[in-house]
Amino acid sequence: MKPAPFEYHRPSSLAEALELLADLPDAEPLAGNQSLSILMSNRLASPDHLVDINDLAELSYVAADGQSVEVGALVRHREVERSGTLADALPLFPEAAGKIAGPVVRNRGTVGGSLGEGDPAGNYPCVAAALDADLELASADGSRTVPAEDFFIATMFTDREEDELITGLAIPREPFPPARTGQTFLAVKEAAQTWPTLSAAGAVRVDDPAADEPVVEEARVALANAAEVPLRVREAESELAGEPLTDAALAAAGETAYEAVDPEEELHADETYKRELAREYTKRALTTAHDRAVA
Amino acid sequence: MSVDDTGRSDRPTQEITVTVNGESVTAEVEPRLKLSDFLRSHMELRTVRVGCEQGVCGACTVEFDGTVAKSCMLYAVQADGREVTTVEALSEDGDLHPIQEAFHEEHALQCGFCTSGFLMATRELLAENPDPDRDVIEGALADNICRCTGYQNIYDAVETAADKLEGE
Repeated sequence: MKPAPFEYHRPSSLAEALELLADLPDAEPLAGNQSLSILMSNRLASPDHLVDINDLAELSYVAADGQSVEVGALVRHREVERSGTLADALPLFPEAAGKIAGPVVRNRGTVGGSLGEGDPAGNYPCVAAALDADLELASADGSRTVPAEDFFIATMFTDREEDELITGLAIPREPFPPARTGQTFLAVKEAAQTWPTLSAAGAVRVDDPAADEPVVEEARVALANAAEVPLRVREAESELAGEPLTDAALAAAGETAYEAVDPEEELHADETYKRELAREYTKRALTTAHDRAVA
Repeated sequence: MSVDDTGRSDRPTQEITVTVNGESVTAEVEPRLKLSDFLRSHMELRTVRVGCEQGVCGACTVEFDGTVAKSCMLYAVQADGREVTTVEALSEDGDLHPIQEAFHEEHALQCGFCTSGFLMATRELLAENPDPDRDVIEGALADNICRCTGYQNIYDAVETAADKLEGE
């Protein structure tokens, strides 16, 4: 379980890191190393160069204003989990972070690494899909922004070019005023270290939490490990929008999720079981988000 | 040192200076050398257990740069200029640390292979949360695997350690 030889580079600025990624053939960025090291130990990846970005303090930020929340690529899962700013603005994000492995992994693993890995079972890709996040990418040639919906292409395959680095993500706040919004992130998994069989991110905004029958203005639901990419189920969302929450609307949302997913069979979860999980956890995520919105 | 068309010199080494358990150490290492192997084989710190070598078992858990980390998921070159702490630093003058005492008293180990990792994870937990409940303890130790005890005695030991540290 030893990786193949590589050369190690530790830039001290983003500009320097991007130059290295542009100049070096077969280079990979090295951040938390909680996934890349597994691939390298098993010789499933053997890059010639690792560009260690752990010193790039400029990628370690959590900031919120009235319009958006911005999170740097080098923010660790543990920091996301404990961020008061995120708990106030987008509580499903820290909830998702707290459900990644155990704290030793969360101490090191990063937002950018998890997004860049592009695992459809990953928590952050699902969060990014649910919240309509924009991913920010930079290279020596400049920077660009890619919506989460376009970033994830297939299992562990993203829109990131080899010489690009994910620098952070930006999430619009306008759909989720905290006083009228509820959010949740639910994961179905047997043990902390295992990947979830399925996860569901849910968010619901109501018109008036104090009303007898608050009207759902906007609903979001995204599923992880239910398709080749994190899957936002827009048909399920539209079953809820515009009316007070009813069991019939929830049931209809669940049915659309059952149909929308395209899950890969696993040892302990065949396709039908995962479809049923998608149905059930779509309902649970939306119910929990709604309950939190009106609480 | 030859350089081939990958732009990578063949089996390069790099000089690192690491503070291990309070002492500065300089060594020449290959970049691919894992911190776990550096600590166990080069530094002869035998509490660092090399188990799965792919981030699953937690037996190689050490404190790196202020937080606990699995040392098989770090390369020794990453530790250049950083601080590393292993279980060797816990006991003073041969006296067991209160967490070690608690593991001993509660029979929180059988073969002992996993114990170092559990001690380091417990140390961070109790530094952050001196009075954790059972759920918090289970969550805090979720990255460490024990194939002997069934975990209950380990959780008991963490509670006992919390009491001991509170009494200090």
